[in-house]
Amino acid sequence: MVEYIIRRTLQMIVVFFIFLVSSYLLFNAIPGNAFSNLLLNPNLPPDAYAKVLETYGLDKPLSERVQLYVVNFFKGDFGYSYKYFPKTPIELIAERLPRTLMLFSVVNIVAFYTGFFIGKVLAWRRGSKSETWITITSVFSYTVFYPWFALMMLWFFGYKLGWFPIGKFLYPEKWYDAPFDSDVIFSMMIKFVVVVSLLQFAAYTVTRGIEALSTRRNVRFASLIAIFIGSYFYWNTGEALARKPYAADIAYHMILPVLVVTIVAFAGTALLTRTTMMEVLKEDYILTARAKGISQKRIRDRHAARTALLPVVTSFIFTIVTIIDGSVLTEQIFSWPGMGQLLLQAVLEEDIPVAMAAFSFVGVFALIAHLIADISYSYLDPRIRVKSQG
Amino acid sequence: MEIDELKEKKLQKQLRKEAIRRNWKLFSQSKLGMIGLGIVLFFLVLALLQPFLFMTGLWNESIYHPVVGYDQIIENKLVVECPKEYPTPQYETFLDCPGDGEVQKKMLYLAKGVEVGDMYDVYLQPAPPSAKHILGTDSLGRDVFSQIMEGSQVAFVLGLLSATLGVGISTILGTIAAFFGGRIDAYLMRQSDLVLMLPTLPLLFIISAFAELKIWHLAVVLGVLGGLGGSVITIKSQALQVKVKPFVDSARITGGSQRKIMFSHVLPNVAPLALLFMVFSVTGAIASESVLSFLGLLNIDMSWGLMIYLSQTDGFIFSGLEYWWLILPAGLSVTFLAGGFYLVGRGLDDVFNPRLRKR
Repeated sequence: MVEYIIRRTLQMIVVFFIFLVSSYLLFNAIPGNAFSNLLLNPNLPPDAYAKVLETYGLDKPLSERVQLYVVNFFKGDFGYSYKYFPKTPIELIAERLPRTLMLFSVVNIVAFYTGFFIGKVLAWRRGSKSETWITITSVFSYTVFYPWFALMMLWFFGYKLGWFPIGKFLYPEKWYDAPFDSDVIFSMMIKFVVVVSLLQFAAYTVTRGIEALSTRRNVRFASLIAIFIGSYFYWNTGEALARKPYAADIAYHMILPVLVVTIVAFAGTALLTRTTMMEVLKEDYILTARAKGISQKRIRDRHAARTALLPVVTSFIFTIVTIIDGSVLTEQIFSWPGMGQLLLQAVLEEDIPVAMAAFSFVGVFALIAHLIADISYSYLDPRIRVKSQG
Repeated sequence: MEIDELKEKKLQKQLRKEAIRRNWKLFSQSKLGMIGLGIVLFFLVLALLQPFLFMTGLWNESIYHPVVGYDQIIENKLVVECPKEYPTPQYETFLDCPGDGEVQKKMLYLAKGVEVGDMYDVYLQPAPPSAKHILGTDSLGRDVFSQIMEGSQVAFVLGLLSATLGVGISTILGTIAAFFGGRIDAYLMRQSDLVLMLPTLPLLFIISAFAELKIWHLAVVLGVLGGLGGSVITIKSQALQVKVKPFVDSARITGGSQRKIMFSHVLPNVAPLALLFMVFSVTGAIASESVLSFLGLLNIDMSWGLMIYLSQTDGFIFSGLEYWWLILPAGLSVTFLAGGFYLVGRGLDDVFNPRLRKR
């Protein structure tokens, strides 16, 4: 096992190197560069363009630039952004990442739980009329043309009903005299969400051992209420109290994006759970459980759903990888200034250092997640042998 | 000798026919699969109907052409001047002026000598649905229904082409990876890691920046990206399961060459999963095309994504349902066709995966 991980890590480094070089070349293959628009300005002296290129090192031949970039990258120097000059890509990412993580961590948690629950019920009620209708609805929301759907929801809830704000992640007028900037609030909110979901997960794991179904449900309900009360006290004491109105402003702007993305995202989990659960229901041990006279709900939740969870969790890991990729469209539509917009802007404006940093951030994230998924899979399912995976 | 061969061929043909009939029976038991098939066939008919209508002359190309067609729809309207303050007895809010059958004088600044109270012929663009234009016309006077038909041609060509290409690549590579193992396997797996690492949408932006993408190019790009990516891993795992089956061992013992075993024993058993993948990747390809043309990055004449892009840039999306024929048909078409292919995939899943069947 250790040997396998070492070999995989070495391979990963090679893959990452190729990834780095090829994406750098890809960005440079785009015609023009970040400063081409200087040529359009008639008021600039004729040598200004050449001077700017020299300052940023863009006049050097491509082969030399690639070398420099890769060497500096592994030294931990990512250069400076072309568009936001004094800032480095790391600063930009550190500023944008919390916003994206905040939005999509909430979405993913909600979508995963709803999706898993709906899929479980769907597989259980196989052949009934409600199953057909719920499946059709899920397929609709799974395949719906996302930008169109998001715009329609934006029109309906934001414009027609006027319940939610259209675009932006805060009301600027509320923040004029704010004593801190929004990133502080964002990181605080992320911490809050993570702690709450961990507590919820812990409560879930602990209560799993309780045999009686009704007691378990009551204990879980009580723990949920305890978490609610706890978070109420948290937001009404000390430092958090001063930040509450600002956090509430951000949360209010988050409702609509979260709602829309959740509607689109839950269906994938639901449909996958349905399939795996149906496969599991054919297994012999389900028949055994039935023969033993165990209640239907117990078979569903404790015998079938637990086994069906494995592939769903694996695919969930891969979903986390695609967060930043998937956030591009969402953030564009809801004008949410996060990682996705940064990446999109950097690509469109050919701000190569920022785009490269964002790409390699996504890449490292993806590589590690794949490794974890592979290892956990072979660990959880002994039928898959590590030997066969090279 | 010859008679035997003939008999064998006949038997094979019969067996194949029977297998198709049996699979069809299984497929038709799946209600959702049948609904999906119905949707796909509906759009296929739409796609094929348009050239037919043009060829038989039922539709005049100068009016109904999805890109360069134009139809003047003229409505006689009363010229009015909107008051500065509301409410007035005629209009309650500024949204009510101009009302039905009325046109504001300010809008006719190019027509000289028109006074308030005159009747004036106004070009109606976009025009609401009528008998002549089933789904109305867009802001340039083009028939929306014809555009939907053109869009479904684009979707079918793109979806099927890229799915076939992608699944072809991933089936061959996945089987090779499973069959030979070792270094080849490691190389192919890291290659698909590399493809999976690239963020899809920004990558497509870059590609569209240095090459003017037409449908064919996009189909090839999407096919290759999909074919080298995650589906290789899934198909490899299926091929690994086939590889250890007894019939592969017996083929090897009887002296079958590596190539023969791979192509005539392993590959046909991976094919059902590959077909399933193909149907699912059509869904992805249609969605990708629509997103790219929605963002205005493709160099194509007409597609569903482009229709939504146009209605958004013309500002009709936030007009709500007043101009519903510009917003709903295109978006629903993308959704339904993608969903139709997805449901067909579900039905096929029931056929190929015996553990999913009801009985």
